[in-house]
Amino acid sequence: MAASRSPSSILRDTRVLSLIGQIIFAIVIIAALYGLLTSILSALEAQNLLPNLRFLQDRAGFDIGEAPAWYSSDRTYWDAYTIGFINTLRVVIAGLVLSTVIGIFLGIFLLSRNWLLRNSSRSIVEVLRNTPILVQLFVWYFVVMLSLPTFQQSISLPPEGYASLPLRWIVYLIGAYLVWNYTRNLPPQRSHLRRPIVWAAVASAILAEIAARFGLVTNAAFRFEIQPWIYLNIRGLAFPELLPTARFADWLAFVTIGVVLAFVQWVYLGRVKEATGHAYPRLLYAVAAIGLLTVVGWVIVSGEPAATTVTVTNADGQATIMPIEQARADELITPEEEAVYAAAPLLLKLPQKNNFRFTQGLQILPEYAALFLALTIYTAVFIAEIVRAGILAVPPGQVEAARALGLSGSDVLRLVILPQALRVIIPPLGNQYLNLAKNSSLAIAVAYADLFQITTTIMNQSGQSVTGMIMVMITYLLISLTIAALSERANRRFQIVTR
Amino acid sequence: MIDEATVARDPIIKCEGVNKWFGEFHVLRDISVDVLPQEVVVIIGPSGSGKSTFIRCINRLEEHQEGKIVVDNMELSHDVRNIAAIRREIGMVFQQFNLFPHLTVLQNITLAPIQVRRWSRDKAEAKARELLERVGIPEQAEKYPGQLSGGQQQRVAIARALAMEPKIMLFDEPTSALDPEMIKEVLDVMKELATSGMTMLCVTHEMGFAREVADRVLFFDQGRIVETGTPEHFFVNPQHARTKLFLSQIL
Repeated sequence: MAASRSPSSILRDTRVLSLIGQIIFAIVIIAALYGLLTSILSALEAQNLLPNLRFLQDRAGFDIGEAPAWYSSDRTYWDAYTIGFINTLRVVIAGLVLSTVIGIFLGIFLLSRNWLLRNSSRSIVEVLRNTPILVQLFVWYFVVMLSLPTFQQSISLPPEGYASLPLRWIVYLIGAYLVWNYTRNLPPQRSHLRRPIVWAAVASAILAEIAARFGLVTNAAFRFEIQPWIYLNIRGLAFPELLPTARFADWLAFVTIGVVLAFVQWVYLGRVKEATGHAYPRLLYAVAAIGLLTVVGWVIVSGEPAATTVTVTNADGQATIMPIEQARADELITPEEEAVYAAAPLLLKLPQKNNFRFTQGLQILPEYAALFLALTIYTAVFIAEIVRAGILAVPPGQVEAARALGLSGSDVLRLVILPQALRVIIPPLGNQYLNLAKNSSLAIAVAYADLFQITTTIMNQSGQSVTGMIMVMITYLLISLTIAALSERANRRFQIVTR
Repeated sequence: MIDEATVARDPIIKCEGVNKWFGEFHVLRDISVDVLPQEVVVIIGPSGSGKSTFIRCINRLEEHQEGKIVVDNMELSHDVRNIAAIRREIGMVFQQFNLFPHLTVLQNITLAPIQVRRWSRDKAEAKARELLERVGIPEQAEKYPGQLSGGQQQRVAIARALAMEPKIMLFDEPTSALDPEMIKEVLDVMKELATSGMTMLCVTHEMGFAREVADRVLFFDQGRIVETGTPEHFFVNPQHARTKLFLSQIL
């Protein structure tokens, strides 16, 4: 029989049929999209609002609550948009890190053998997981943040004022260390002395304390002024700032050398361990190398004499030369200007408060804090469940086999449980990261100046809503695709090979 | 059967009056048994009779609540140092293999020698390849457990336990999860191990294996050692009614 095909047999071929189906489907979709697009464009053309990007160079004309110093309402829409993007990244990146850390701990707590820990973390997870994030955001903002004290009555940590530390307390501390160090190294044949020595030390401390009460021992004390490092009030959180000075780069060079040294010994001693089995305390060496170079660099760099006077120009254009301390005390120079003249590579600037505002230090605004906390904690409880499920997914036989081989508890966790749990954890974890990034657009509810909030303002002022929406969507898409790509890479690393 | 040289040796495992409960369930009742170095002890009995629990008590995967277990002159207590030291001297092979699926065969075998014994990687790998040769699968070293057959996986598990150079090997039904045609390859490895002088405690249903290599057979029922003796005594002339019933059912 010759293989001849009739036209009707071609039309019964599943491959041909599915191809035809797909072509028809594509035509329908394209036609529908085209119709939609032309109608939108003609409507916009009628209002003279055809999508374009030229408006981005126009003057923005609005202020942003959370913006760097260079921004003012005279900058362009594009500048405002960039700040929105940066603000979104600020909250998303910090949120990703902290929610992961909290989530991992909470997840391990959910499996804890400690009844109280397990059940309290379980109830936290259930409450936070089953209420909407928008409600939680409002609670953080309107209940928690706005119930903080006013600016004048700021909570400060440590509390402002004077503290005194009795001299004898320091003697006790040193004594306790000596006793501990001595009894720890007692040879076994004299170990029966341990208890009497400890009791004798405790008794002499009690006697000294009683003697001090009756004035038999000097009551001398250190007294020192305490300056608060942290202020908390309704306008947010103020904390110290580290200002790099003109000498910062020199010092950084020393630190870099330390890091390189630490890295080199880490790799080298790692090879030695592989080859000989002899394990050196690599972590200790690394910390020592970095610490040493950091300190030595600081001493060398700040040892060079620095200018002690500064030229200050007053309002009339008159220049006067005065010591830096005086200029700082009179607030004639800004911290940034002071940094140019400083001897140290870094200046620690504690928050300073006058009657109305903080004059130095860094600040977190309540809008950012509320959004950050809401996103982080909401996501963390989901991550906790994922971590818990991932650990439970490792068969108990794996732990038994590892323990039977003599591996220690932390080695079992590090080498056997975690690598297998991560395989289960990473895909849903990536999903939670995406959720956090997208949920950050809820910022608009508490007026935090994120990407979406700023774009809404831009759209209202310029009328370019179609362009604005497309820009926002593309930007969120970029953030999401980056997160997805990273988690996919991590996922591939932890896949388990089977037949 | 016990010659003078055997009598002179001190037991490497001493159990005295070991009792254990799972909740209300009394799973081990007054187990007292000594195992001599190089002895091969096979433990048989119906399921639920406590035989697996007993050998899991020996490396403290389970805790006994009463009595005393001394392994290699170290008593099993809550002292973590003792537990770690005893586990180093005891290898264990499980019914479900329990190989680490994320590590290659070679990494499975070298993991504990490198982490616990602090061997160099070269030394551990040389030992691992030697053991893979011994269990007959040197060509599988770079594969992952998921790529091997059940019998091959169990042989890797035996090699993994042997890599720590243990003085004692515990086998918990090593052939029960295997297809019939793979049982022999695993039993052959175990027989070779027995003739090489390893101290072995083996929970199994393989009566042929028990008859061939065991120095002693323990019969467990309801948490007790009901009968103990040489394979000849056991299979030819069992004394206890429960033993007779059990043997008539499985032989």
